[in-house]
Amino acid sequence: MAQTKNQPDLHTPGGFNARIDNGMGAMLGRLTRDRSVVRMLVLLVAAFAFFTLLRPSIFLNPLNLENIAVSAPEIGILAIAMMLAMLTGGIDLSVVAIANFTAITITTLYAGLAAGNPGQANSLLPLILLLGLALAAVAGWFNGFLIGVVGITPILATLATMQILNGIAVVWTGGQTLYGAPEALSVIAKTTIVGVPVLFLFFLLIAVVVAVLVNVTPLGLKLQLQGANPVAARYSGIGSRRVLTSTYVTSGLLGGLAGIVFIARNPTASADYGSSYVLLVIVIAVLGGTNPAGGFATVAGVVLATLTLQVVSSGFNALRLSAYEYSIAQGVILIAVMIADQMRFRSRRRKRDLQPPVPAAPETQGKS
Amino acid sequence: MTSSNPPTGQPGVPVLEVRNISKSYGGAKALEGVSLALQAGHVHCLAGENGCGKSTLIKIISGAERPDGGEIFIDGKPHPFMTPSQAIKEGIQVIYQDFSLFPNLTVAENIVLTSVVAKRSKVFSAGKNRPAAEHIVKELGLTLDLDKDVERLSVADKQLTAICRALVSEARVIIMDEPTTALTHSEVARLFGIVRKLQDRGVALVFVSHKLEEALQVSQDLTILRNGIHVVSGPTTGFDRRSLIKHMTGRAVNETRLITSPQLEERPVLSVRSLSVSGAFHDVAFDLHRGEILGITGLLGSGRSEIAESLFGVLPADSGTVEVEGKTVRIRSIDDAIRAGIGYVPEDRLTQGLFLEKSIADNIIAGSVDKHRRGPILLDSGKVSSSIRRLFDQLRIKAPNVLAPVRSLSGGNAQRVVLAKWLANQPKVLMLNGPTVGVDVGSKEEILAVLREQAGNGMGVLVISDDVPELVTVCNRVLIVRQGAVVDVLEGDAVNGTAIEELMAA
Ligand SMILES: Nc1ncnc2c1ncn2[C@@H]1O[C@H](COP(=O)(O)OP(=O)(O)OP(=O)(O)O)[C@@H](O)[C@H]1O
Ligand SMILES: [Mg+2]
Repeated sequence: MAQTKNQPDLHTPGGFNARIDNGMGAMLGRLTRDRSVVRMLVLLVAAFAFFTLLRPSIFLNPLNLENIAVSAPEIGILAIAMMLAMLTGGIDLSVVAIANFTAITITTLYAGLAAGNPGQANSLLPLILLLGLALAAVAGWFNGFLIGVVGITPILATLATMQILNGIAVVWTGGQTLYGAPEALSVIAKTTIVGVPVLFLFFLLIAVVVAVLVNVTPLGLKLQLQGANPVAARYSGIGSRRVLTSTYVTSGLLGGLAGIVFIARNPTASADYGSSYVLLVIVIAVLGGTNPAGGFATVAGVVLATLTLQVVSSGFNALRLSAYEYSIAQGVILIAVMIADQMRFRSRRRKRDLQPPVPAAPETQGKS
Repeated sequence: MTSSNPPTGQPGVPVLEVRNISKSYGGAKALEGVSLALQAGHVHCLAGENGCGKSTLIKIISGAERPDGGEIFIDGKPHPFMTPSQAIKEGIQVIYQDFSLFPNLTVAENIVLTSVVAKRSKVFSAGKNRPAAEHIVKELGLTLDLDKDVERLSVADKQLTAICRALVSEARVIIMDEPTTALTHSEVARLFGIVRKLQDRGVALVFVSHKLEEALQVSQDLTILRNGIHVVSGPTTGFDRRSLIKHMTGRAVNETRLITSPQLEERPVLSVRSLSVSGAFHDVAFDLHRGEILGITGLLGSGRSEIAESLFGVLPADSGTVEVEGKTVRIRSIDDAIRAGIGYVPEDRLTQGLFLEKSIADNIIAGSVDKHRRGPILLDSGKVSSSIRRLFDQLRIKAPNVLAPVRSLSGGNAQRVVLAKWLANQPKVLMLNGPTVGVDVGSKEEILAVLREQAGNGMGVLVISDDVPELVTVCNRVLIVRQGAVVDVLEGDAVNGTAIEELMAA
């Protein structure tokens, strides 16, 4: 028995080598091992089943399902942006403000052009969208500069950016709701491909791109390491300025994309749209397994958490409960999931570590 | 150097005894049926290779881990469910290998915290307990700044703080898990002085160290573990260095000087001239050639670490020039140093070297992410996994697989991961600060062999160390640093233990 601990296959080809060589197998292994993803999946199915049982006719109505699929993308994209910032150990409070700012910019430009010459406005639409995204990227870069170069704490830096952008937006619009967002976007938003709204597919596409970014690019790996231990990252030559700037530019860009989804879904823009989103998006990111201390997150978890909360939201609608009750439910779900985490952690210790241990911080091992 | 042992308790009944302790982590057995008995007034040395279960046994005794099976007795009374606070109340104090200090509290607060727990006080007043902290610092003859936050201390000072914390309360059992890794000879001597005083008071002590001389010198009883299994116990007088190594590793280890004299190219790979950092060192000049292993040694505070930190851009130089392969490089930041081809295995591996919650795989690749690209945006996953596999094998890191978090590794294995990270980067010059601190004798031989091999492949290797036998075994030349200046260079047969020790302390 002397060798039990010194597993013999470690140092010979075969054993673990097979495990890391076999990419697909490793991916699957990781997914099944990834508790936060599994947990969210269970929660999503449970929520769906619950509301189906209570109000089958309303809840299973195709209109209701489509509603979920159309309203999830904007929140989901924002949550993914938030997840990225949290992965580096930071946070991006300005991401909703960036989305709104982009939406307002695009609407103003388009409506202005369309008043004179509708045809020209439509042909210039791609350019206008790009300009909106460019502004979003600049706002993100500004965050990155404050955090990575100047060295301001992320929560304060992005709070400042949020206030600035919100202020500009109110002054610019005079606090009014703007009409006249590009119709072409609304048309695209209403199309479906084999019954699935295009907006939802767009959301999934973004999720996949970010998952690739996080897991199989040098930048993604650096981002995770920067969040896991900034000091060791510095000693490993991971240039934190570049990493942080890229991260916040990316989260800014995602904010911009969310802004485009805003006006596609609802052809108006106003400075106070989505004012309750910031906290909701943080809740979703954490539910999805993002470690607020940095270093661990999964895109799949965040996508599932988004859907779960959307299901709960529309379920509450079906039950004729109010937004306040929905907000209570968010808090309760968050606490319940965190308690489940703790209990599992303790019971595993009691079960004498039958499973490999997890870091003391929230169990957000692995990647999506 | 065994001291007399006038135990105070009733003779025969051990102060603390564990029987048949077993523990496994996720199917891998860390301990299997290990027993240990501590006598009042004795120092019990616990020895064995990296990952053999020493720290695990200690954590079980202190209640930090729960055993799968076995019993714990204090004064002959069974304690089936030991918890950390209970252990402290029973007078068990531990100096953990990773120190387990509170980084955001001051030195004084850290020192008195557990003794307050022991006294079952409800309110914590660091001020009221401060004299106790001052007293122990004075008794150890230290110059610790009691008001500094622990996170801003050097490794050595963190270790001293952990030692003070264990010594400050009236403990009956004091367990020291590698307490001397970062200490100087004089600090070790003072610690041993206190150990003897504690013995006279009837305290039972456990001592773990990979510095075998220390272990043999300070202990009266000895227990050796191998792969989680008890190998042998007995009075220390029955062992010497050779037999200890034999029991630990199951083989004989070669510790003699073994260097090759490489054909030196004319152009050095690293050339340093009149390098100065005010307050740390001045006018340092040396050449390092490809294939050469150069030692830099000196007492703690002599400036030996600062020289390396300066070359790595942590502590940019005030003046002087650095050339890499004949080209002058300006090193103002770590990125500059890495771009110039200089790598550094830092002394404080827990905070500077490792991503503890991340996997071994991520840690190994952390320093060379950009060298594993495929195209402009993607990682070359095939190359990544083959690099990881090669280094995991080459350094014989003991873990169930490469996805295990580094936090689950034993101290010596964690050190190998840091080394692997830099080998993956293949720098032109690799500087290592204490490359084998906390590494067992057998593994030490292996790690030094890896350094020889890397040098043989054309790397320039710089070893910063105060481990004299290690320097003698592996270095072609040794620079002696004293009070911030290079005072001597030893070469060839002049590189021997007595010469180095005399020059260091002179
Ligand atoms: N939390 C953990 N999770 C999984 N495995 C662990 C954990 N802690 C320890 N181990 C494993 O248990 C074994 C014993 O580790 P331990 O830390 O006791 O070794 P050690 O004798 O103190 O070694 P060293 O001299 O390197 O400090 C090792 O194989 C280690 O990887
Ligand atoms: Mg240990």
